[in-house]
Amino acid sequence: MNRTEIKEARKTSPVIKPVIFAVIVLALISMPLWGSRYSLSVAVLVLLYLSLAQMWNLLSGYTGLTSLGQQAFIGIGGYAIAVTTQAYKMPLVAGFIVAGVVAVVFALVISAPIFKMSGVYFTIGTWIIAEALYIFFVNWKFVNYGIGYPITAAYRIRPEVMYWISLVVGLGSIVIVVLVLRSRLGLGLMAIRDNAASAEVRGVRLYRSKLIIFLIAAIWVAITGCLLFMNQAYIIPSSAFSIDWTIAMVFMVIIGGSGTIEGPVIGAIVYIILRQYLYNFPGISNIILGVIAIIIILIAPKGIMGFINKRFNLDIFSIRRKPKRK
Amino acid sequence: MEPILKVEHLAISFGNNQVLKDVNFELEDNETLGVIGPNGAGKTVMLDLLTGILKPTAGKIIFMGQDITHKSITERVYMGLGRTFQVPRAFEKLTAYENVMVGGVFGNKMSQKAAGARAEEILELIGLTDKMTTVAGTLGILNRKRLEIGIALASKPKVLLFDEVAGGLTETEIGAILDIVATLKKEGYSIVWIEHVIQTMMKGTDRVLLLAEGKNVICGEACNVMASEEVERVYLGVKKK
Repeated sequence: MNRTEIKEARKTSPVIKPVIFAVIVLALISMPLWGSRYSLSVAVLVLLYLSLAQMWNLLSGYTGLTSLGQQAFIGIGGYAIAVTTQAYKMPLVAGFIVAGVVAVVFALVISAPIFKMSGVYFTIGTWIIAEALYIFFVNWKFVNYGIGYPITAAYRIRPEVMYWISLVVGLGSIVIVVLVLRSRLGLGLMAIRDNAASAEVRGVRLYRSKLIIFLIAAIWVAITGCLLFMNQAYIIPSSAFSIDWTIAMVFMVIIGGSGTIEGPVIGAIVYIILRQYLYNFPGISNIILGVIAIIIILIAPKGIMGFINKRFNLDIFSIRRKPKRK
Repeated sequence: MEPILKVEHLAISFGNNQVLKDVNFELEDNETLGVIGPNGAGKTVMLDLLTGILKPTAGKIIFMGQDITHKSITERVYMGLGRTFQVPRAFEKLTAYENVMVGGVFGNKMSQKAAGARAEEILELIGLTDKMTTVAGTLGILNRKRLEIGIALASKPKVLLFDEVAGGLTETEIGAILDIVATLKKEGYSIVWIEHVIQTMMKGTDRVLLLAEGKNVICGEACNVMASEEVERVYLGVKKK
């Protein structure tokens, strides 16, 4: 049978999939009961990086908006938590809300100029904006210049609570991507990704579709940023707006499989496990990551998930629209 | 009756290169108008102007009594202008079914469910039912051309603009396209059809417009145009006596 043909999705019993999903989710929710303290802290990282990877994949893999400036929103999130809880002694919830609002406002402001650019110009444009934001924060009194802030409110949160919040954000990122892709908007996004000019002639509103996705990613990355810096308990501009965040996102999505929902999950797990070992190689860890990425791209150009999909024709999250007949 | 599409003194230049100088024509309701002309006559540019991809330097486009010269690409789709591309531009990673759905969901603002049902009807009409779940990027040339028509149809157009839907096909394949066009005419569509294959134009159109040197040279019934001195002159370089 021709591999490119999409097989009927419901070859397996329709009951099995939800049951497997439910078991996995229950296992994850109950992890603080059976997992060690160390495994819990690693799981938090996997979940938060999963969220970053899903959002980057939504932008790049599904919409064709390859941004190298998503660290701008991580920094905004981290600083929102730091400033609200540290300087203004507000509760953590306020930090999350401020993070979301500021991310939306910032995304709206920069969308006008950067959406005029496309392809590699968009990519470079987003990076420059993130760098500019870094320089601005270093010179901004309101955020304590380059000295930054401790985030002491984070100490008061129990590890299992931190884990559960991260679980919501991590799994939430998958839910968001699935819902978006199954919606009308998602169909338009995939059309834009395949051929933007043609999509427009078919009636897809390019600007509006891209903007909605950019805003969704901005909010979710900012909220993830809040948690990432709560986890680190300290924020300075050089870590908040570091290009390393985006390198991680690109790595996870590329090796996991761009344009698949399962890819970022695999990418996040692989990346965090690798990183635990790469701590032993300071200075050259990024080089090692790069080499690994190149090797994987050479062996499996569409990432690990692309490779698996081709072999086994998996369709776990069913983004395909299927005709009734056939 | 008012023509459904009317083009008046349409002109466009790229720098010093005046591609279209003065194009005029009318398309009647439920008419199939063929457009022929040598390479570089500006046929595809004319379609780009009609769909709004390019903006004219002069002239007017009137669609169903409304001046659409300055309307955006998407607005024209919503009003009922559907087009196909010379080089098929289907969405490569989407299935044929999803490709047609895009036309319905966005061009005709349908729900995904309604667009899906309509997509199945359209795929049957264009003879692609057995390729419904095939990814567009792997379709052969005839099926890609069919799919182009299908996506355009899904946006519920009143006027279809075909850019060489029979180009590059074998004679049998052209027969399949002619059948589709005949069906579309029966269903009441009006069509502007650019094509190089003269035979196809003779069989598939009501009138033919000859475009050369940026102007419409002659327009009339296919056989009359084909037999005219103008066609001889433009295509064969024979001078007028």
